[in-house]
Amino acid sequence: MDSDLAVETHGLTKRFGARTALDGVDLRVPRGCAFGFLGPNGAGKTTMIRTLLGLTHASAGSMWVLGHPVPAERAVALQRVGAIVEEPRFHPHLSGRENLHVVAAVRCPETEERIAPALARVGLSERADEKVKSYSMGMRQRLGVARCLLADPLLLILDEPTNGLDPAGIQEFRVMIRALVEQEGRTVFLSSHLLDEVEKTCDAAAIVDRGKIVTQGPIAEISRGGDGARNELIVGVDDVDSALRVLAVSELVHESTRSDDGVRVVLSGAPETAAGVNAELVRAGVGVVRLEPVRHSLEQRFLEITARLDEKAPEEVRT
Amino acid sequence: MTELALRMTGADFLKIRKKRSILIWALVLAFAPVIIFLVANGLLNESPSLSDGLNVLARLFGPLAAILVGVEAGTTDSSNGVLRDLIVTGRSRLALFASRVPAALALCWLVNLGAYALLAVGTIALARDGTPTPSAELIVNALLFTALTTGAVCVVAVGFASLVDSKPGAIIALIAWQIVASPLIVAIEPLGRARDGVLSQALTHFSPVGFESGRHAGRILTMSTGTAVLVVLAWLVVFLALGAWRTRTMDA
Repeated sequence: MDSDLAVETHGLTKRFGARTALDGVDLRVPRGCAFGFLGPNGAGKTTMIRTLLGLTHASAGSMWVLGHPVPAERAVALQRVGAIVEEPRFHPHLSGRENLHVVAAVRCPETEERIAPALARVGLSERADEKVKSYSMGMRQRLGVARCLLADPLLLILDEPTNGLDPAGIQEFRVMIRALVEQEGRTVFLSSHLLDEVEKTCDAAAIVDRGKIVTQGPIAEISRGGDGARNELIVGVDDVDSALRVLAVSELVHESTRSDDGVRVVLSGAPETAAGVNAELVRAGVGVVRLEPVRHSLEQRFLEITARLDEKAPEEVRT
Repeated sequence: MTELALRMTGADFLKIRKKRSILIWALVLAFAPVIIFLVANGLLNESPSLSDGLNVLARLFGPLAAILVGVEAGTTDSSNGVLRDLIVTGRSRLALFASRVPAALALCWLVNLGAYALLAVGTIALARDGTPTPSAELIVNALLFTALTTGAVCVVAVGFASLVDSKPGAIIALIAWQIVASPLIVAIEPLGRARDGVLSQALTHFSPVGFESGRHAGRILTMSTGTAVLVVLAWLVVFLALGAWRTRTMDA
């Protein structure tokens, strides 16, 4: 168990009859960051969250939340955890404030004092005394976060938090999550099937598919494809054929191909060697009009990974 | 009760007290029969008898109000999808279940004992000249009997509803048991002493007034106090245990 981690699991497995929803998951969520748990629908994201929170029992494996083993020390572990599992649900016949009161009563006595600040924090103070059944989806999401904040959480676990939100609501939510991490030092564990959301909101992520962690680490590292990632350039030149001949014999270049906007070059070494490639082309009389590193997106990486899995296990049916 | 238990019970009480539809129906079931009983006696120029009123409230309609309140307390968290949000606080599921019981009892008794107060006052106020009014001892004992019959049914309803985790299912099953199955079972004489196991019969044993078998009171079985106590305790223990077990083990 590593105390620098907000969540740690080893070989976590959850089976529902013959179906394996989580298959030996080893997850490491660093403290003080926004961590995306990314995967297609049915990949096991919600099952992972439900298992971590003790809503369902693990079939095998071990897990720690904020340094405490669960389920052995579940009560202590969850004292400083706030969570929204699937969509935030409330007693519709109670007001927003009363719904928070219901949860505060179950937590420690000082939680009552956090109700008003939590409502203010999510911008619901003025409508806190209206019944929840009159709330929009966005307001319910914000009330869900307020409910999480009652725990003064070191860790917030949010399951698909932007589901049902309009673009403005998504943007607002993203800003709030970043503020929770950057200004308040909390850890946010956010599950999503939306690559863009994770890429824009999170510092690190794990990609899960069919109950298995495919890769995990900082977003930039995952996008590049890990330490052994390829450094690629798009080179705009005045003579593509000449450029391809020069690059074909260059030791700095691993691979070069014609592309719509010039030549796509895979470097043999570090990104800094791009300057050497430029020099070789210029020395050979090829005019270089553009030299641009290829920015790898998480989406690209995600699709590569899941496509590879599809090739490996074509007989498996995604659940 | 500890401070935590009080806070949790208070929160559970808030949930069911604010459920307007349940509260209105519970009030109607408890108060309307009492009002009709008193008005009917007034129209017939007769003195209302506490015994008949007690039969109406404590044996017939009060338990139905108790069922509504108990079922609401037993299912409100899971039917609204809030149970998981309470579980993820780290609080034990048994504690979450346990706090439902006093909350349900508080509302059940508030409603039914309010109706009983109306019955007791009406019985005295509408007594005709020369008709004896109920003694203070009888009024207190009848109050305790009303609390017992409605409270026991309410607790069973909390446990049963937590077990089946379906509000309509629990309401239908419990009301059907109370007003259809129980009298039918009691009427099947070949069942012999096994009929003592019917909760409503065991509760009737503690009545401060004698209900005679007949058109209004239905069939009344006689049993020993020990048997009645055991039957009532068995119902409470079994359904509380089942409700607690289900709350503790269910996937939320």
